[in-house]
Amino acid sequence: MNNENIVEINNLKKGFDKGRIKALNGIDLQIRKGEFVSIIGPSGSGKSTLLNMIGALDTADEGLIRVDGNDLSQKNDLSDFRSKKIGFIFQLHNLIPNLNVLENVTIPMYGNGYNSKQMSARAMKLLKYVKLQDKATRKPTELSGGERQRVAIARALANKPSIVLADEPTGSLDSKNGQMILKRLKELHEKENVTLIMVTHDMNVASMADRTIKVLDGKIQT
Amino acid sequence: MSFIKLMAKNPFRNRARLALSVIGIAIGIATIVALGMVTDGLKLSVEEQLKTGGADFVVVKNTTSESSSGSEAINEKRVDEISKMNGVKQAAGISTSGMTVNGDRLNLAGVNSKDLNMLGAKITQGKAFSADDKNELILGKLASDRLKKKVGDTVTLNGNKYTITGIFETGNVNLDSIGALPLKKLQKMDEEDGKVYMIYVKINSGQDLKTVSKSVEKAYPGELTSLASLEDYQKADNSLNMIETATMAISLLAIIVGGIGIINTMIMSVFERTREIGVLKSVGWKSRRILGMILGESIVLTLIAGMVGIILGFIGIEVIMNFSEIPIPLTFTPVLALKALGIAILVGIIGGLYPAIRASRLAPTEALRYE
Repeated sequence: MNNENIVEINNLKKGFDKGRIKALNGIDLQIRKGEFVSIIGPSGSGKSTLLNMIGALDTADEGLIRVDGNDLSQKNDLSDFRSKKIGFIFQLHNLIPNLNVLENVTIPMYGNGYNSKQMSARAMKLLKYVKLQDKATRKPTELSGGERQRVAIARALANKPSIVLADEPTGSLDSKNGQMILKRLKELHEKENVTLIMVTHDMNVASMADRTIKVLDGKIQT
Repeated sequence: MSFIKLMAKNPFRNRARLALSVIGIAIGIATIVALGMVTDGLKLSVEEQLKTGGADFVVVKNTTSESSSGSEAINEKRVDEISKMNGVKQAAGISTSGMTVNGDRLNLAGVNSKDLNMLGAKITQGKAFSADDKNELILGKLASDRLKKKVGDTVTLNGNKYTITGIFETGNVNLDSIGALPLKKLQKMDEEDGKVYMIYVKINSGQDLKTVSKSVEKAYPGELTSLASLEDYQKADNSLNMIETATMAISLLAIIVGGIGIINTMIMSVFERTREIGVLKSVGWKSRRILGMILGESIVLTLIAGMVGIILGFIGIEVIMNFSEIPIPLTFTPVLALKALGIAILVGIIGGLYPAIRASRLAPTEALRYE
């Protein structure tokens, strides 16, 4: 971890339903490069919206959001940014059912200058990293919940992102598999120095992070 | 896995839906292929007939002219007159009719024995009829097979017995399905003495076909027209044009119906994969890549349907024609296959475009929330 901020957010506001619902109501936040941050808060507090904004899945109504040097409030097409800078891990693994494990990991690499062989080689390397190389040709339905989530981790790392965003990554897993996934994420953060931002509602899970941010009613609680 | 392979793999996720969609479009493509085979076959047959035998061009009544009486018969005197025109080597009057023989329809051509060479018929069994006053007949190979008649057998035409003196072959399905008998006999049978329906004209060597055929038309303005090519034939006879128009209309209908089917299939597919599209967007896929993927899947689907349709159409029309009493020549050309595949791709593009645009415009957060 160094002192350079990878995420800078000032007075970020986001509303839904024509502004009637204020999901984010003036967020100020800085996250350093290589930091492991957990965002906690009850349902509807705005934590997932905040994560989506950092991941450029949604745009701000007001305020400034700069991620890895990119001013997201100024850009129209953010697909390139998402492709090169962000790795997403969802609560539900969201793997493509008709593709095998290896093919699922290659999905983010399309359009990034890899050929088929390079894509497969990189995906296999990532599968080794999550210890699933022997299941490369299996379909997601043939894997356990924990294994699927490990495939999702490998997919998130496909394009060597600077930030990995995890939205309740253990939310659909039993405690044993959940612990295993958290261990993998912690390892990823420590060994690869990847900035990790994780949304959770579980205090135990959140405590594994370097820093915990509490969001309530669209604002950060200090 | 390449992007194209990925696209090609996706339609196979739901095999039952794929099969139903393919069948729906394949039926339309099969119809296009079947009708195309008939139209092309008829065209080829006309071209063959125009080129068959010794005739260089055919003269028929100009039924499109305002001065025409509406009758298709030509006064037989014209045959003699044309044979004496500059550049003409031989002119043969031909009469046509149809009779029922043993419950089967037999088309007949009346031609003078001295003009049999103009039909381009090669006698393969027996001999040609030699006199114009005898009840003699020659049969095309296909007609003799269909009627199960051989040389020496008799057939009854209009109450009179005719002896089959020979079997001929021209290589043309239409001509090989007819019988030929002396012109006078057919005219008498049809009570059309002094009338012919076509005049086959052979020109002298070194003469220009167009010049001679035009000079015949000029000699009988509004009365006669000459057919030297398929285009001439189509101008004089609307039936081929009508079949072509009908084929086009059916093709258009197939595109519309197939297109609607594809829209439905692809919208269902996009609907079911909303969350997946959200994931693709979240990992950085551009909208145009998603558009390309859905459109590509649609084209893969219709290409499969196109190939199935071509096979279905080919087999279907061959089977139908096997049971048909009217021999219709069928021609399958690579151009027809490419046309069918082209239509299939067009259906894929038209049908896939809207679902593809819809998928590409999905907001990632909404798509990811989709249950």
